[in-house]
Amino acid sequence: MNAMPNWNQDHAAPLRGDRLSKRYDGKTVLRDVDFALPEGAVLGLIGRNGAGKSTLIRILMGLIEADSGAATVLGDPALALSDATKEALGYVPQQPDALGWLRVDEMFALVRPFYPRWDQDFVDAQLARARLPRDRTLAKLSPGERQQVALIRALAVRPRLLVLDEPAAALDPVARRELLREIALRAGESGTSVLFSTHIVSDLERVASHVAFLHEGRLLLQAPLDDLKERCARLWLPGTGAPPKIEGELARRPQPAFGGWSLVVEQRDGRWPAAAQQPGARLEALGLEDLFVEIAE
Amino acid sequence: MDASLLTITPGAAEPIYRQIVEQLRRMITSGQLPPGESLPSVRDVAGRHAINPMTVSRAYSLLEGEGLLERLRGMGMVVAATRRARPAGERMSLLEPRLHDLARAARELELPASRVLRRLGELLEDGE
Repeated sequence: MNAMPNWNQDHAAPLRGDRLSKRYDGKTVLRDVDFALPEGAVLGLIGRNGAGKSTLIRILMGLIEADSGAATVLGDPALALSDATKEALGYVPQQPDALGWLRVDEMFALVRPFYPRWDQDFVDAQLARARLPRDRTLAKLSPGERQQVALIRALAVRPRLLVLDEPAAALDPVARRELLREIALRAGESGTSVLFSTHIVSDLERVASHVAFLHEGRLLLQAPLDDLKERCARLWLPGTGAPPKIEGELARRPQPAFGGWSLVVEQRDGRWPAAAQQPGARLEALGLEDLFVEIAE
Repeated sequence: MDASLLTITPGAAEPIYRQIVEQLRRMITSGQLPPGESLPSVRDVAGRHAINPMTVSRAYSLLEGEGLLERLRGMGMVVAATRRARPAGERMSLLEPRLHDLARAARELELPASRVLRRLGELLEDGE
């Protein structure tokens, strides 16, 4: 499963984790996760609910401590961020609940002095566009409004590194598309590196340059999205017996209705496995969602 | 050209950059996008479809490499005016729909193939 190239050797990565493990109440949530966000990448972290996405993000952000392993943010240890790193970091948790007693405009006035690159014009434009009430207390906003306010705050700091935990979860389709557009353009024009987690594959497919699959606490794949789509396919092999293990195989399952097996295979040196040439064998292009489902089972 | 003319299907097995390349190649070879036509900026396309600008750049660069697009100073990307000669197979495919029309008309008129081919040969030789 670790055949895909990864960036664990990339020491300049704005965000990285080395051999991160975490247990809660005797249950292993993360096992030996090596993770790196390449500079300028938009990396979509995908996984089922409970796969460990939020735990991984919270460890990378230094909000909780891993049982073992180390995380770094813009070169600093995650548990000891410098002021310069804090100023360059935009982070939105899954359920933003900080400063709930403040009004929207009070919250912005409070946090603004901490960020030298603060973009007030952006804040004003976005609050108006999303019709967010400046005079309402944060705790009284709907979950979607609360998330939008948190996103505006994170983007207003003009971050070098943007980390979003399930940013689209509470947003309606229009606000979601708007958010994806903002992420895409930030990455393209300001060189912002972005990590966002999601269980909605289509969101990821629009904007992500890279994808990482987290499944049951393990990172199964880390790769550029286009590579993944071009290098992985479903291979249908007829025959009753289980086919021998194939080089580049990522998953397999029996297909009684077809009369054989289907495998998820990966190209090696630009070639499909030789088994694809067998009589009756057939290669089928695989979308990311199918790939994810096949590998996650 | 307007960015909305492109259709992006994020969930397709085909990567988005390839979807863009294929659609633009079709529009250019079909003449729907004539030489000199400006392409929308990378930002326009990325913003309109909420996709990664690097994906759009990659598609444009590939088409530039093929000679279908060229980068003009101050104008951005335009459909190439002086096209490098494209492979015969590709040029032939442009002719294909007209050949189908011609074949159908000849059949409907119940003309023998040899006669049609002889006349077509004459026309090609003459350059008429």
